[in-house]
Amino acid sequence: MRHLAVPATVIAGALALAACGGSGSGSGSGSGDAKADLSVSSSYMPQPVSDMAAGFLTIANEGGAKDELTSVTSDAAGSVTVHRTVGQSMEEVTSLDVPAHGRLVFKSGGNHLMFENLKRKPKQGEKVTVELHFADSGPIKVEMPVKSATYNPANGH
Amino acid sequence: MSVVSEDTSQKAAYILDKPFEKPDMVLTDTQGKKYDFRKETAGRPTLIYFGYTHCPDICPLTMNNVAVAKKALPKAEQDKLRVVFVTTDPGRDTPSELGKWLKGIDPQFVGLTGDFATIQAGARTLGISIEPTHKDKKTGKTVSVHGTQVMAFSPKTNGGYLLYDDKATVDDYTKDLPKIIKGENP
Repeated sequence: MRHLAVPATVIAGALALAACGGSGSGSGSGSGDAKADLSVSSSYMPQPVSDMAAGFLTIANEGGAKDELTSVTSDAAGSVTVHRTVGQSMEEVTSLDVPAHGRLVFKSGGNHLMFENLKRKPKQGEKVTVELHFADSGPIKVEMPVKSATYNPANGH
Repeated sequence: MSVVSEDTSQKAAYILDKPFEKPDMVLTDTQGKKYDFRKETAGRPTLIYFGYTHCPDICPLTMNNVAVAKKALPKAEQDKLRVVFVTTDPGRDTPSELGKWLKGIDPQFVGLTGDFATIQAGARTLGISIEPTHKDKKTGKTVSVHGTQVMAFSPKTNGGYLLYDDKATVDDYTKDLPKIIKGENP
C-alpha cells in the first residue's frame, strides 16, 4: 500500500489547532495533539454473493491520542462484526486500535468488516450506510459504495 | 517452499517443479451425489480451492475472480474446465447451501462437501492446510480457516502444476486460463 499524501492544508490546520489548544488535557474542550482526530477514506463493499458481505475502509488518525474502533452498525445488515486475519485464520475481535498519527486499515486479506443477514443484496453502484463507533471520538457515518465482486483497489477495477 | 520456484517476472502463478498428484477423495456434490474427484476431473483442466461460504472476503473474491476470467474463454473451453470448490466448513455447508452460494458465482462450478477428515486429508496431500471452523476457547468467537491457494491441474498429466495465492487477480486468471486449458505453463 502506498502512503497517502497528507495535504499541506491539513498539516497547517493541525498546527494552528495545536497552537491554541491550551493545556491539551484531552478532556473534551482542548483540541489539538492530545485527542484522536479521525477520518475515513477508501471505503467499499464488494458486491456480495449471499446474505453476507465484507466491507473495507481506512481510518486515519491525525491526532496525538489513539482511539479504538469498538463497534460498527448498519441498517442494511442484521449484524456487523469486525474481523482480523492472522495467516489463513479469521477471528472476530471486539475492538481494534486506531493509533495516534496512524491508520487502521481494512483490506482484502487483512482486517475486514463482516456484514451478516443482509436485509437485501446490495448491487454494484449502490451505497450502504455504516456507522463506526469509537471509544473516545463520536460516531462516524460512512456511505460505503458497492463495487464489483472482483473489485481490486490496487488497480481501481 | 522447496518445491516451488517463484517466477521472477510479473506472473501470478507459482510453477511447481514437482507436480502434486490429485487427492483420492470421494465427496458429495451440490446435488447430493457422490463425486469421485479423480474420476470426475480426469483429463480435464481443473482448478481446486478450499474455502467456506460463510467467508465474506477471500473465498468469494477468489471464486469470482476465476468466474469472471472463465467467461473470457470460448464456450467449448469453458465446458472443459472444472472449477472445484471444497468446503472447509462441512457442518454449515450442506450440498444445498453450497449450491445456492456457487450459483451466485458460476453455476458450472462444482461444490463439494463431506466428512471433514476426508477433506482435510485431501487438502494436506496438496500441501494446503485447513482446520475446522471452531469457537475460540478464550473469546467464544468463531474462528475459520481457509486455504488461500488455488491449484491448477493439467489435462495432459492430471498433475497439480500451478499454484495461485490470494493476490491473483481477474487479469492474472484471464491471461493464464487459456494455457491451463492446454496444460501449458503460463
